[in-house]
Amino acid sequence: MRRVFAIAVNTFRETIRDRVLGVIVLFALGMIIASLWLASISLNQQARMMKDFGLVAVTFFGLVVAVFVAASLVHKEVEKRTVFVLFSKPVGRTEFIWGKFLGLAATMLVVLAGMGLFLFLLTLVVAKQASGWLLVATALIYLQLLVVMAVTVFFSTVTSAILASVLGISVFVAGQLSHNVLSLSRLGSGVALKAASWIVYVLIPNLSAVDIKPTVVGEASASWASIAAWAGYLVAYIVVVVLAASWVFRRKEF
Amino acid sequence: MAETTREHATRDVLVVDELHKTVAVGFRRRKVEILKGVTFTVHEGDVFGLLGPNGAGKTTALKTVIGLMRPTSGTIELNVAGLGELGYLPENPYFYDYLSGSEFLELCGRLFGLRAGTLADRVAELLRDVGLEEARDVQLRKYSKGMLQRIGIAQALINDPRLVLLDEPMTGLDPVGRVEVKAIIESLRVRGKTVLFNSHILADVAELCTRIAIMRAGVVIWSGPVGDALAAGDGDLERFFMQVVTA
Amino acid sequence: MLKRSVSVLVALACVAGVVAYQAHAGTKPAPAAGDPNVFVPSPKFYTDLSPSSRTSIADAYWLQMIQYYGEHWKTDHRFDALPAMVDLVTTLSPRFKQAYFFSAFALIDAHRPDLSYHYLLAGYKANPTDWHFPFYLGFFAWTYAGNEDRHHVAIVAADYYSQAAKLPGVLPSVARLAAALLAKGGEKQKAIETWAAIYGQGDKYSQQKAIAALDALLPPGKHERISAVAALRDLMPASQYSRFVGAIFRGYQ
Repeated sequence: MRRVFAIAVNTFRETIRDRVLGVIVLFALGMIIASLWLASISLNQQARMMKDFGLVAVTFFGLVVAVFVAASLVHKEVEKRTVFVLFSKPVGRTEFIWGKFLGLAATMLVVLAGMGLFLFLLTLVVAKQASGWLLVATALIYLQLLVVMAVTVFFSTVTSAILASVLGISVFVAGQLSHNVLSLSRLGSGVALKAASWIVYVLIPNLSAVDIKPTVVGEASASWASIAAWAGYLVAYIVVVVLAASWVFRRKEF
Repeated sequence: MAETTREHATRDVLVVDELHKTVAVGFRRRKVEILKGVTFTVHEGDVFGLLGPNGAGKTTALKTVIGLMRPTSGTIELNVAGLGELGYLPENPYFYDYLSGSEFLELCGRLFGLRAGTLADRVAELLRDVGLEEARDVQLRKYSKGMLQRIGIAQALINDPRLVLLDEPMTGLDPVGRVEVKAIIESLRVRGKTVLFNSHILADVAELCTRIAIMRAGVVIWSGPVGDALAAGDGDLERFFMQVVTA
Repeated sequence: MLKRSVSVLVALACVAGVVAYQAHAGTKPAPAAGDPNVFVPSPKFYTDLSPSSRTSIADAYWLQMIQYYGEHWKTDHRFDALPAMVDLVTTLSPRFKQAYFFSAFALIDAHRPDLSYHYLLAGYKANPTDWHFPFYLGFFAWTYAGNEDRHHVAIVAADYYSQAAKLPGVLPSVARLAAALLAKGGEKQKAIETWAAIYGQGDKYSQQKAIAALDALLPPGKHERISAVAALRDLMPASQYSRFVGAIFRGYQ
């Protein structure tokens, strides 16, 4: 556990100090501010536009950071042979993967909390109204991005960094379409097709189970129970994927 | 070499016996046998040089010893208490860009379970030993190649290991860097550590090593005290090496 | 030194070129209004694609819709794609009230008052507690009914105004509109009852209006008026009723 923590702290330092991260975050804040302009041409729908487009910006830039950092995370260590140093010390492969993942999760926490609070305050100051739902939504976006990160880390242990990031983004998109796969499994005629699409439905993370953005703009009302259940599901999904990644990684030679 | 029978056997730190390693290469997973039965023994207190032309399997042998690779067959007997008593410097070491030298050493120490107090002392001591006190708070991406090599040696020594494995510690260094690294290895020998290293640079090997093994194409073709090798090559290790390798 | 001044000159020339190009491009006449027939995907496409992002998509199309409206209002007054946009925005975001109100008026300019009515109805269904919906429905029924029977139209509009008058936050004038329209539609008795209720709940101004209207609606004969007023007793609190009787029989012996 101490070793996991040491690796996590190191990963956090390593990623948070990367200038690319700073540039992306600045860009994201710029985009959130740009949503002010959109809000100004929206015929008195300023608060709604700011919340909605602001959350889209948070999701998009969060996704960019999550995928690209996660893809290079493990891969860079193998490529640049820092793993040689780590694994010549009493460090287990599972400890390594968990440490890396938790360190990156901490970095993402800083990034998302920064963007979320910025959006919250901006909406409060400019549109004079900001609901706590904005922060709840940011927290849920964070969990969704952790899922994408876990999946990307998993792929990066078996394939190249670029392919892993492409696959990570694909999984994010597929996660938004989860319910479509389900309806496919209901539509399918043959038992085999139904079973296959049901398996795909379970494999793909369900990233659209709760209508969180509609809730923020008052378009839907997500219940706390459904949010808690979904958050629990996402955490469980993350644990499974990270364990799978460490299992794959354990078999790897360098 | 006759007296090695019993007395030395108790003090063998590393015994590699008939080590084979086959890896799958490329998209079609073509099998390539890199190690074809490597056998050598490193005694306590040796500075052991593993020599051989490029592609002989020196690095693979070291990686297998440290556990980065699994042997296909053969045995590796390590008479130290696991990775906790081992130190390892990889070839062309590269570390975390955005960590400072001292942060990196602290990370390595924590991985060995060193506590904060002893860790700080140990890091300061090592930075002094490898001459990087000035650069302790500089991020590693600003280090020169020689500095990276030295911080690499420092991390290999953070746990005060009994056996130190160095993969090409002198490659790519300027003459000053080479002298510094040689001094570090020499001081390790003086302190009774066992050192196993790879090198192309035969002059350094002749100077530093007590024993050597010469590898070619995945097998050890000669091993013994460096004095024997020098005697057979009329005081010139290079000549002896060429004789053995081209034989 | 020479080299340096040359490179400065080259840099300046390039800057001048960049500015000149953009300045020239800026003098081109503004492009004609875009094709009024822009493609608008079906809302089902987006709800299938990403249900949790539906409001973001609706908002993006909302911005496009108001821009489309403004652009064509200034130029050719053709709004061919507007109905599809309205459908998209309101289907993706059924509680986006402003979208319904804007669309209702914008669709008039697209010569589709029937659609205005349709979307207001849809909005009313999705937002049954917002008085604006029945209010606008009444207004649209009355104003854009074409050559339907005016009496019938008045009754329909009055019905919407009455519904609106019962919802929270409504303006007091809405109830008066309902009563006036009922009278116009020939529903004399209903009009009287509505005015009486307005008198019972309304402010001073509403009460004056109610007295004036009732004075005209109630039979002028003293005995008929007495029995008609007696029938209104349950429509207002007792204290109000005595004042009401005093006001409505002012001038009678």
